[in-house]
Amino acid sequence: MSGYLVLLVLAAVVVLNLAGWFITPKGNQQTLIRTMIILTLWCCFLMWSITYMAQLHPLIAPRRADIRFEEKKHGKTVL
Amino acid sequence: MARRIRFFSTQLAKANASHPDHPIPIRSLEDTPIISITGPRAQTMRDDLDSTLTQHEERLAQMNESYSTLRERERELLEAKEVLRSTKGFFERAASIPSEIRQSIDDGTQPLLSHEDREAQVSAGDGSQFDFEFVAGTINRERLPTFERILWRVLRGNLYMNHTDITQPFVDPISGVSTYKNVFIIFAHGSTLLAKIRKVAESMGGTLYPVDASAGKRMDALKEVGARLEDLSNVLVRMESSRDQELKVLGENLKGWESVVNREKRVWECLNLWSYDASRKTLIAEGWAPTRDIVRIQAALRHAQEASGASIAPLLHILPTPHNVQPPTFHRTNKFTEAFQTIIDSYGVASYQEVNPALFATVTFPFLFAVMFGDVGHATLMTVAAALMITFEKKLAKADTGEIIGTFFYGRYIILLMGIFSIFTGMIYNDIFSKGMHLFHTGWTWPHKEGSITAVPNGHTYPFGIDPTWHGADNSLVFINSYKMKQSIILGVIHMTFAICLQLPNYLHFGENSSIWAEFVPQILFLHSIFGYLVIMIIAKWCTDWSSPSITTSPPNLLNMLIYMFLSPGTINEKEQMYAGQGFVQQLLLYIALICVPWMLLAKPYLLWREHKNKMGRGYRTVGHGQNGEAREADDEIIQGEEEGEGHAEAESEEHFEMGEIAVHQIIHTIEFCLGCISNTASYLRLWALSLAHAQLSEVMWDMTMAKALGPTGWQGVLGLVFIFVMWFQMSVGILCVMEGLSAFLHALRLHWVEANGKHYRAGGYPFVPLTFNFVEVVGE
Repeated sequence: MSGYLVLLVLAAVVVLNLAGWFITPKGNQQTLIRTMIILTLWCCFLMWSITYMAQLHPLIAPRRADIRFEEKKHGKTVL
Repeated sequence: MARRIRFFSTQLAKANASHPDHPIPIRSLEDTPIISITGPRAQTMRDDLDSTLTQHEERLAQMNESYSTLRERERELLEAKEVLRSTKGFFERAASIPSEIRQSIDDGTQPLLSHEDREAQVSAGDGSQFDFEFVAGTINRERLPTFERILWRVLRGNLYMNHTDITQPFVDPISGVSTYKNVFIIFAHGSTLLAKIRKVAESMGGTLYPVDASAGKRMDALKEVGARLEDLSNVLVRMESSRDQELKVLGENLKGWESVVNREKRVWECLNLWSYDASRKTLIAEGWAPTRDIVRIQAALRHAQEASGASIAPLLHILPTPHNVQPPTFHRTNKFTEAFQTIIDSYGVASYQEVNPALFATVTFPFLFAVMFGDVGHATLMTVAAALMITFEKKLAKADTGEIIGTFFYGRYIILLMGIFSIFTGMIYNDIFSKGMHLFHTGWTWPHKEGSITAVPNGHTYPFGIDPTWHGADNSLVFINSYKMKQSIILGVIHMTFAICLQLPNYLHFGENSSIWAEFVPQILFLHSIFGYLVIMIIAKWCTDWSSPSITTSPPNLLNMLIYMFLSPGTINEKEQMYAGQGFVQQLLLYIALICVPWMLLAKPYLLWREHKNKMGRGYRTVGHGQNGEAREADDEIIQGEEEGEGHAEAESEEHFEMGEIAVHQIIHTIEFCLGCISNTASYLRLWALSLAHAQLSEVMWDMTMAKALGPTGWQGVLGLVFIFVMWFQMSVGILCVMEGLSAFLHALRLHWVEANGKHYRAGGYPFVPLTFNFVEVVGE
């Protein structure tokens, strides 16, 4: 889990783009389908990668006052 | 014909309104067999229809007329009956109080009449001391007091009047107005007086009825009136049933006829646009047709010729489009893309052969909506609603759903896509009906402490979406706001860059290659040297591990960094430097941005001016100059004058070149872009604002209702929970799905129209409007 995951997913998205480009059947709607596949992939990747990178090295940490710790059960601390 | 059909529909509507318990059925258009308006029998069909409609109209009008006449008669007879009954009452009462009636000494009739005749007249009554003569009739109740007063004044009190109310009002069959009438009987003596009374009564709108003094004759008259009334009502009933029959026939065929008339009207309106060439005895039309469809059109023309049996084939001749005429814009859409094309066309119809932004809006619009809407729960509801509309789209398309539901139905594919993308963004924001989901291992651990605890990062990053540990934390908004604002800026800069890049296909297609260097390049450089740099710094700051010991500086405040980049270029606060040479790089970027402004301002006008000069130099003469073919005097003044627009128009296809106009246009364009860069980028922050509002509303709605209802136990708790759930669900759908949905729709649309389309869309076209039978109007529109 690091910044390299973003690059890995980027590579996967590029592959999916190419696949989408070549798989789309010829016809009246080819341009439409290709455009939609490519745009969807890039929009979703963008949003995911922004969210991921924002949490890689956070500058502030969550803080709350209402946590109750339970006793150890089956070797795991339960929140 | 249209008028007749309107007449029929109003008659049917009235009949149905007056007999709501057994209405006449009107067969709907779907059940009516189609009547074709083309083909060899079209002309005969039209003539037949015309005659049928005329016949029906005549019959119906006749029936209506006779019906109203008979009703009139019925009313008169009823009045006569009332009069007879009431006068009977008068006479009976009068007989019982003989002392109150003044005896007449001289009855004023001809003294030449023999005593026996008079006595016969009088004794034919019921033996009363009456020898008054009288006038009887009916009059409107409102008129009665006035009537009495006038009579009193005219006759100077020499009358005796009695009147009773008729309890049942008379209903006018045509207007439906009910009038109350009274029966009056006036006793007076003297023929002049009686004549005056008659005249007054008639002028006041009363009707006089002959009433006989003798009771026996009155009984006979009453019986006769009764018999006549019975006959009349029989006739009326039979008339009504035959009218109903007639209307039933109409009801079966009305919709079919309506559709035929509508279609015919449309075709005729179109044919009116053709011009008639008398010399060649043909109709000629000039129009537009999509190039791809030319073959289909020719085939259709051949088919039409065969079907109608005409001997001469219609010809399709393709004309070259003249230079200064822009053809109409025609985007072929299917049921999916139609709605997207409509929302882009609402901003402006694309110029002929321009890049169509609706193609990209199919994804970017639902995506930007989803960024503002992100909640898995609400998105699922939206998706299901859209899916239902699509599953039943054939049935719903025919039904009359009203304006609001109809609008939602029209955009069902947009809503479906918006819902699907919102499910995705909801997963990213980790928000389902304001609750978080703990799908993967979180990246934070809570140390075991008392009081307010701060979580500690455990080296792991939540792989998909926002870490659920943030959900419910006291300072979650600090992190979420920062994240969403930065995301909005990044998405905004990328969207705007995409929109600017859409200029490229336009320039390449229309051959404006100079504009690529004069407009596209400086715009990209300007945008990216400021905001592209900001985006890179945001990502760099995110990807730097600030806790690692190799970093000696503290994380910079990016907003301050941007501001100081402009205020004090070249100087960087050492404690917040991100990379070596940052000062130099920022200075360089600033200078690039500054150069871009005059570049955008001057390059295009200069290029246009040079092009124009080249054209002039190549020997095109203006009208009125160089008639002997010699070279024109290149007088500075004359050239200046021409550039200011005083020159005559050149070759027909060339546009009028005016330097002043071009310069002003370019100034506006440059200022708009440069200022717009900053304001539009900030405008994308609405992506953050709306998603924050949605999340907060959702949370409040849960906390204020369900959270409180989940506490109580026992049967009261169960009942309360059921009730509160209904409330919560209704509010979720109404406020969060519908209201927030519409709001996010509007803002996503605005982002497309202003921030994106403003960068490349020319929108100077007009739509292609072919003749179509696709309409749902009422006849007469």
